[in-house]
Amino acid sequence: MLFNSVDFVIFFVVVTTLYFSLPYNKRWILLLISSCIFYMAFVPVYILILAFTIIVDYFAGIYIEKATGKRRKSYLILSLAANIGVLVLFKYYNFFIGNFNHLLKGFALTEPLPYLSILLPIGLSFHTFQAMSYTIEVYRGKQKAEKHFGIYSLYVMFYPQLVAGPIERPQNLLPQFREKHDFDYSRVTEGLKQMLWGFVKKLVIADRLGLYVDVVYSDPYHQGSASLIVATIFFAFQIYADFSGYSDIAIGAAKVMGFKLMTNFKRPFFSKSTAEFWKRWHISLSSWFRDYLYISIGGNKVSIPRWYFNLMFVFLISGLWHGANWTFIIWGALNGFYVVFGIITRPFRNRMNEMAGITKLPKLNLALQVLSTFLLTCFARIFFRANSVSEAFSIVKKIVTLNTPGFLKDTTMLIYSSAGILLLTLTEYKEEYYKNDFSLLYNKKTAVRTLTCAFLIILILILGVFDGGQFIYFQF
Amino acid sequence: MIKKSLHKIKKSPVQYFFLKLLILLLVVFVLDFSLGNVFRYYYIKQESGELYRITYAIEKTNEDILVLGSSRANHHYHPKVFENRLNLSFYNTGIDGEHIFYQDAILKGVLKRYAPKIILFDFVVAEFDQDPASYDRISSLLPYYHNHPEIRPIIKLKSPYEKYKLFSRLYPYNSEIFPIILGNTEYKKTKHEGVKGYIPRKEIWDEPIKTMIYPDKYLLDSNKINTFESMIKDCIKAKSKLYIVCSPYFFNAKNQEYSIRLGKQIAKKYNVDFFDFSNNTAFTSNANLFADFAHLNDSGAKLFSAMVIDSIIKKDEVFINKFVLR
Repeated sequence: MLFNSVDFVIFFVVVTTLYFSLPYNKRWILLLISSCIFYMAFVPVYILILAFTIIVDYFAGIYIEKATGKRRKSYLILSLAANIGVLVLFKYYNFFIGNFNHLLKGFALTEPLPYLSILLPIGLSFHTFQAMSYTIEVYRGKQKAEKHFGIYSLYVMFYPQLVAGPIERPQNLLPQFREKHDFDYSRVTEGLKQMLWGFVKKLVIADRLGLYVDVVYSDPYHQGSASLIVATIFFAFQIYADFSGYSDIAIGAAKVMGFKLMTNFKRPFFSKSTAEFWKRWHISLSSWFRDYLYISIGGNKVSIPRWYFNLMFVFLISGLWHGANWTFIIWGALNGFYVVFGIITRPFRNRMNEMAGITKLPKLNLALQVLSTFLLTCFARIFFRANSVSEAFSIVKKIVTLNTPGFLKDTTMLIYSSAGILLLTLTEYKEEYYKNDFSLLYNKKTAVRTLTCAFLIILILILGVFDGGQFIYFQF
Repeated sequence: MIKKSLHKIKKSPVQYFFLKLLILLLVVFVLDFSLGNVFRYYYIKQESGELYRITYAIEKTNEDILVLGSSRANHHYHPKVFENRLNLSFYNTGIDGEHIFYQDAILKGVLKRYAPKIILFDFVVAEFDQDPASYDRISSLLPYYHNHPEIRPIIKLKSPYEKYKLFSRLYPYNSEIFPIILGNTEYKKTKHEGVKGYIPRKEIWDEPIKTMIYPDKYLLDSNKINTFESMIKDCIKAKSKLYIVCSPYFFNAKNQEYSIRLGKQIAKKYNVDFFDFSNNTAFTSNANLFADFAHLNDSGAKLFSAMVIDSIIKKDEVFINKFVLR
């Protein structure tokens, strides 16, 4: 079920009403059933995959807690193998086979290995990572094994964050299923406002930008450099509005029912370096990789070359997490390179800035840092958005040559898109630099709050794209 | 008294929430109603642009020959060629990106008012395929929902919630704010030299012809096939002479496309002529007649229109003479 559908609005109203009508100890049943309905609205049979990992991880958690020594580790490995196995089978099998067959061709072996004809279950990487965080935390002794099968299932399946995160940690989410959540006016309205802003981001901004981006990126070979530059910049805002919009709806929907999910975005386009960008973008995934992969392989408590290797490795895996395609791996590698290069060149860059006198102009310095970070991430995202590596390189080549005008068949498309970017940028700018100065949605005066909400609803009616389709991150 | 009840409501968070929600909904209703009516006023008031052409097609056409179709129809059927050769008035209702459901709505709107003498339906490759965009494009008909009951069943194909969404006065004008402004400021009139609906393409295609092997079969959309049949039946009932035409593509097709094959069978069932120019060598041998692989330019449109007229005369000389020699 898509968040940006009438079905979801009806679903949300019904589930939330029932949630507050039921006694506290029965609410988990409602949430579990509704999460199953929510997931089965996509491809019903894939609930069996979820059931498989839930059963494996539920028992793994209990056995890990009971066991000692090597057995403890064996249970963890078993659980991780089951989760990663599902991920490899459904997400990466055809990619690996394709590359293997390509290699075979190189050795003149013509009998290719068969491909699997399967659809990628929606949100697989999200709920698999959330499930893995549970068994790892139990293994580390930071989380008690959950004995209640229903509550554990809900931890993996909680509908607001089931298909595109935020990827939660058991310490944060599991205890909340046992808390008593009353109908709290300010919390409910806060959640609804966050959802409303999420809908504006998705329908008015992301899907509008997507109209231009999709046209240009669907046939980049016939596009001019101006079109490709505009589409690449638009895509940066599109994917941000799309994914952070989803997160806002998810966090808001959970908040209405009394659940606090982790923050997933902190105005990433105001980052002063790519390292900072990754602390502000898709925080639940970045912190997952930090906590469970980066630290496990030594983090920065190793020799300097090894530290750089660790950073590159984590970014490569992060790229692969996003999709089974070399484009994502190159995207990950580029981001890793940015971070490592940034660390290596930091003293040199600081000296250069001092010599040029830029450090004496802090606002200019800040603007240059923010702009260069934005452009670097935009460049990397060409590989994220392109359909193939060769297509991505062709786009880069065309952008660099700067020779042809933009695709301007419909000027209104550009006007709407630019207006959306302006709205998003102004809102984020205010949040970043003037957080406590004034607020429209959270204004002290009721009339201002009401009019702002009404304005956003009207904005959706006038400028929302209602046929925009699914969220970009659903495919991961 | 009011203060007392408000104080009482404030004590119950649920009641207080619903009171605030009610106030918000009232504000939204007032804004939606007033802005929706402003949009409606300026939508109808347009005198140029694409939206104006939709209104003209549904509500004002009175021409002898009407062309129905997508961008290919719009750029391929030249009014002057038809009017000069057949001595009949002509209007091209083709609109970029529109699909069969839109064309059916135009036909229903037209036949409610009068029966054109000739209707040319431009049939496209993959006319009957399953494509969600065909349903998305029904949005352009939303402003006509309230005043045109004949097109309501078509709008309902878009989604079962559409009639509820249309409680909003603003929703039908979603994404139309700038087109409405442009349509009221004559901007489009100078930008597009649309003559009787037709908009010429000036570009010349400069890529070599490609070989096309169409898939033998694909999943069909039964709504589209039913709509096609119902359009044929409506024309027969209204006694308008219907010709189905597939205009040229710049492809060397190695086989006949699935929808075209089916379209021909259905046309034959109702004894309606189907002229297939999709792989016509007069066009596939000359890239200069195309603006891109799917659209003719102005020169191509003139030649193609003349060839369509030739085909009509060849097939129905008696019928045509009745009008030409009137």
